[in-house]
Amino acid sequence: MDFSLQTDPPEIAPFRKEVRAWLQENMRGSEHLRWSASWSTRENDEEYRFRRNLAGKLGKKGWLFPMFPVEYGGAGLTFDHQLVLETELDRYGISLNHVFYTLARIVAPVILKWGSEEQKREFLPPMVRGEVSVWQVLTEPQGGSDVANCQTKAIRDGDHYMVTGQKVMVGHHLPPDFLWTLVCTNPSGSRHENLGWLHIPANLPGITIQHMHLMMGIKNVVFFDGVRLPAKYLVGGENNGWRVAHTHLELEHGGEGRVGADPLVERVVEYCREMKVDGKPLIEETNVRDIIADMMIELHAVNLFARRNFWHRFVREPHPYGGAQFRYYQRMVRLRNGERLQQIMGCDALDPDHTVHEVVDFEYVVRSGPGQFHGGGTLDTDRLIFARRVGLGRPTKEKAPETI
Amino acid sequence: MDLQLTETQNMFKKVASDFVRAEAPSHVLTQWFLKRETSQIDLYRKAAGLGWSGMVIPEQYGGAAASFTDCAVVFEELGRGPLPGPFFSSGVLGAQLVLEGAAEEQKKSLLPAICSGKSIVVAAITDKGAHWGPESVETRLTRTSGGLVLDGAKRFVFDAEAATHFICAARTESGGIALVLVDRGTPGVSITPQVGYLASVAEVHFDRVQVAGANLLGEIGAGWRILDAALEKAMPILCAYQVGACQEIFDFTAEYTRTRVVFGQPIGRFQRVQDHCVDLSIHLDAARYVTYETLWRLDSGQPAAASSHEAKAVASEAYYQVCNFAHMVFAGPGTDYQHPLMAHSVMAHTLYQYLGTPLQHKRKMMDALYPRANA
Ligand SMILES: Cc1cc2nc3c(=O)[nH]c(=O)nc-3n(C[C@H](O)[C@H](O)[C@H](O)COP(=O)(O)OP(=O)(O)OC[C@H]3O[C@@H](n4cnc5c(N)ncnc54)[C@H](O)[C@@H]3O)c2cc1C
Repeated sequence: MDFSLQTDPPEIAPFRKEVRAWLQENMRGSEHLRWSASWSTRENDEEYRFRRNLAGKLGKKGWLFPMFPVEYGGAGLTFDHQLVLETELDRYGISLNHVFYTLARIVAPVILKWGSEEQKREFLPPMVRGEVSVWQVLTEPQGGSDVANCQTKAIRDGDHYMVTGQKVMVGHHLPPDFLWTLVCTNPSGSRHENLGWLHIPANLPGITIQHMHLMMGIKNVVFFDGVRLPAKYLVGGENNGWRVAHTHLELEHGGEGRVGADPLVERVVEYCREMKVDGKPLIEETNVRDIIADMMIELHAVNLFARRNFWHRFVREPHPYGGAQFRYYQRMVRLRNGERLQQIMGCDALDPDHTVHEVVDFEYVVRSGPGQFHGGGTLDTDRLIFARRVGLGRPTKEKAPETI
Repeated sequence: MDLQLTETQNMFKKVASDFVRAEAPSHVLTQWFLKRETSQIDLYRKAAGLGWSGMVIPEQYGGAAASFTDCAVVFEELGRGPLPGPFFSSGVLGAQLVLEGAAEEQKKSLLPAICSGKSIVVAAITDKGAHWGPESVETRLTRTSGGLVLDGAKRFVFDAEAATHFICAARTESGGIALVLVDRGTPGVSITPQVGYLASVAEVHFDRVQVAGANLLGEIGAGWRILDAALEKAMPILCAYQVGACQEIFDFTAEYTRTRVVFGQPIGRFQRVQDHCVDLSIHLDAARYVTYETLWRLDSGQPAAASSHEAKAVASEAYYQVCNFAHMVFAGPGTDYQHPLMAHSVMAHTLYQYLGTPLQHKRKMMDALYPRANA
């Protein structure tokens, strides 16, 4: 085994040098910027322009999706190259998955797996090159966790679909280019066999988007009111939406993995070194050290789970239950850490600090405890999936779908 | 043993419940939190007219001379809102600080105005956000030829925006802590509301503020002792507010499990959702019974310091955890600022910190029960 993220095989070492130099050049001018989390209420125009621009530049080199085939906008490189890009970007506090606010990280692999050759050539390059923003548009007010209970209808009318319905809690504060959507294509069909997956250009007539103000920032309601969508935007074939959903949801449900570590503990230690109570820095207090130790140990396990999932994904051996397990644990740890921060730093844990990246802003961490339980399915669905994958109480184990 | 409310208490409960429903229905209250209009001074004064400010204060000072349990019953209903405004901070803690610490003349002049709601007197105690305790009192009170001068800044003062006066804890030249009454309008006093995952909290600056010697409450050096004595009696009332909030959340969460249908069945049929509700109820009832037992101790004249700290720890943790479990049940819709749970979630985080974290109160409980050898 080798847990190191930086021991490159000899032929890769020059690539790391190249990437490092390229980033030094292209991250210039960002020194004063403080990254907001993947979507939020605090991002400013300057930050957005910088990130969008950076995504464009990385995308042009194929580096946003280094392992994707060149003809679809990728760089056709290897796992080792991917690791180099992930780790080098992580040094700047940015993840390759979230260079800017688009769900391409999940959508592109699903299109690669399920799209026709024509669709791949048309849909993938702009997405893979970071030129368009895609929202994941699944949740409905009625269906909620039961994603397959889809009331948004897309009825075939010649070479078009007529899309009507409503989705909630999707996207972020800036307008999308595409809506990546599960719909019901056959209202009289049986459950799971009646669905289709659509890649909908967001500028079509009949689409209205309204902000919702959630705890974690802005999400939206999307209304489809008789939207006429050319049939070429159906991905994965007629009434095959549920199988496409499997691939999509596995990635969304933690299966994509991640190599970057959560920098929270370093920031907590920094705070505790500076903050003195009765003349003594908090970091000297035994009980504060105990709390930080727990925080550190749990975040370390979360990080190892994420790395394990990352490895399994890219060696094309999806971990049977890793995604759901990781997500459940990560979210419980986040909740506990929110409480720990409140114990260590009192009211300071509730006061936003705009001088640091949002992921290490204590107020954001506290708020995202209860606020991030539900995105992409609840804690309960995580545990449900885990049970099916392990085969708890059932003779067969549900297989993890293959992702890319 | 008798664990029922009295007839009078049931009547208090009904009046308070009707008041909250009429004056602050959920959709109105949600907007106050969303727009950060949580001072609600007019509403507070209206409620003070019903006798809910200074409820436990003796009649000779304009109070209602009610028992702690009577007062708690009202606060439980206010907590159901959660009704914001200086109900506790001035009407209970402010009043109690004056009662415990002030000279007779001061009581006569201050308490009637607090009880009528005319004066809103809010405690500004610790300077730092990170710690609650005498160590965190850093604002300085110095004697000059012209009188006393107060200099410093208090972060996280709950209900500061509603205040007409502050009772400020300050460090004197001798190193002791003194409490001084400061009119909000005094030159040098400024208030900056704080944003974040909290409600009704502001930073209060005392920038070389001149204070008359007559505004000292109690002796120099006695500040923290007065505060401790006032907190012992006041905190259980705040706990009752938190209990009411937990009860409200339990009620509307249980209702949601009956009406929300997912996968073809009411979500309350899922064992996972049941589990969240069981955990929620344990926090609620633990807080309820610890709180009311403490109130009984106060009303029957028994020592209550340890119980009072225990109650504050348990009720603050309960409110916070009850919100977390309710969030699990409501999932996405419960994170929308238009949803009634959100006002509670913000208030629960604020009260978790207000007057010290649960951890700090657990320590105080232990110290009260098992004093340290070197203390
Ligand atoms: C921050 C955030 C970001 C989001 N981003 C997106 C997005 O980008 N795109 C998108 O499409 N959606 C998004 N969502 C919506 C999210 O996917 C839904 O909130 C989630 O799927 C749950 O649906 P629901 O909120 O309607 O809860 P419900 O389904 O109503 O769940 C209510 C309760 O029932 C429980 N429950 C439901 N089914 C079961 C079961 N079978 N067994 C046991 N318990 C069960 C749940 O766990 C929960 O406790 C986001 C939500 C949030 C909060």
